Order: sequence, then C-alpha cells, then structure tokens
Amino acid sequence: MQLRELFVPSAINLDLAAETKDEALKELVSCLGLDGKSEGILYKMLKRRENLGSTGIGRGIAIPHCRSLVVTRLRVAFGRKLSGLDFKAIDEKPVRYVFLIVAPPLEVSNQYLPVLGKIAQFGKEADVPESLAELSSPEQFIELLEAKDL
Amino acid sequence: MDQQLELLLEIQDLRMQRRELTDGSTDLEAEVFDVKIEDAIRLLDEKVEELAERLARGIRDRYRRIADKAPRVVAPVINGICYGCFVAVSTARASEADRNLRVESCEYCGCFLYHVG
Repeated sequence: MQLRELFVPSAINLDLAAETKDEALKELVSCLGLDGKSEGILYKMLKRRENLGSTGIGRGIAIPHCRSLVVTRLRVAFGRKLSGLDFKAIDEKPVRYVFLIVAPPLEVSNQYLPVLGKIAQFGKEADVPESLAELSSPEQFIELLEAKDL
Repeated sequence: MDQQLELLLEIQDLRMQRRELTDGSTDLEAEVFDVKIEDAIRLLDEKVEELAERLARGIRDRYRRIADKAPRVVAPVINGICYGCFVAVSTARASEADRNLRVESCEYCGCFLYHVG
C-alpha cells in the first residue's frame, strides 16, 4: 500500500492552532475521529512515547507514533505549524511538520513499522521541508507523496 | 469507561511498546529517533509497575497471572470477536450497552476484554 492511500484530507491540517507540542499532539489526535475517551488514552500514550525520547527527527520534522488498543487500523495524520513548535527535537530546532502514526497492537498487514520507516525516509529528503512549507491544500500534500512515489 | 479497565489498557499499550523495543524489529527507534533502548525499557517497566500497583487487588492478581504467561493481558473485541483467541464472545456480552463500563474477561483465553468501536 502506498503512503498516500493512508492519508485522508480531514487528517491533514496545514495550519495547526497549537502553540505547544502537547497541544499539537491533541490537535492531531482529534483529526482521527475517535471518541473523547479514546482520544485521551491515545494522547497519554503518545506523551509516554515522547518521554522515552523526542520524536523530533530534525530538519523541522517530528513523527509521534505509538500502538494502542483504541484504534482498529493504522491511522495517520499530518499537521503543519509554520511558526514552529518546541518538540525538543534531536537538532534542537523548532518542529514545523508533524506526522502522527497510530496502529493497533495487531495488524493483519503489518504496515506500522514500514510506514514509520517510509515517513522517516521521506523526512530526510533534502527538498521535503521546503515542499511541505509551500503546500496550500491537503490535496497538494497527497500530490507531493504521489510525486515521491509514496 | 471503567477506570480499572483504562489502567489495564495503558498497561497493555506500554507492554506492547516495550515488546517492540526488545524484539529487534525497531532498530528505527534507536537509529532514527535516537532512543536509548535500555533506558527506555527501564522507564517502561517502572511505569507498568506503577500502573499495576493502582489496580484493585483482585484485578491486579489476575493481571499478574496473565502477564507472567502471555504478552497480551488485554484483548480487543472487534465485531464480537476476542482478538486474544479469535473466538466469538457471547452475544449478550458483545451487545451490552454498558460495555467497557466494567472489567470483564474472555471465558476462553482469560484476557481482559476491551470493546473497540
């Protein structure tokens, strides 16, 4: 499965209201359309994962991720905050682009780790931060993935 | 949702996270995210133990019995199927309006049950 098939426009937010890392996590979790209780559990789990080490991989990109029982299939979301968020990233620079990945404990297709790897690889490509900055619609985000054959 | 069940869910998710750090399939965590695996495992173990101590005694005893034997202590129930053993849970149980409002277990595999969706 291609990465772009996992993203739906409602889970692509090019103008996050969040001013902090925690708010960004909450805002992205809210894009997934879960019930309130599940959102709370998922947020807590993402925070616990962040406590093990920041998911800010540098160059303005963060990939918060976890497995949780509250989802039944792999879910992804993308958020952009052009003014930047303090994510305690590896390079200590502000994070502008946040890819959220959540998977259930068991997946028949076992996509979680490959998707995590693909997004990490995508984030390392030289032109990607600039391309993400220039997006003006969720559809363009999907087109960018398509252009990268992802 | 029952608060004890919520604790069990957190414990299960953390145990899953720990398992992925130890089974060798997540070199990504060390290579991409610079996670110190040994430190992370220690932190996860401490958190799991802290949460387990907050379980009511009967549930905690049961949790420890299951956790000693199996990687999974809570199984999702999706469309009436326990994903711990892939056996249908009783119709009455699956259709209860108050599901997840109390702690219940699969009569076949013994896992605590969490109804998803």
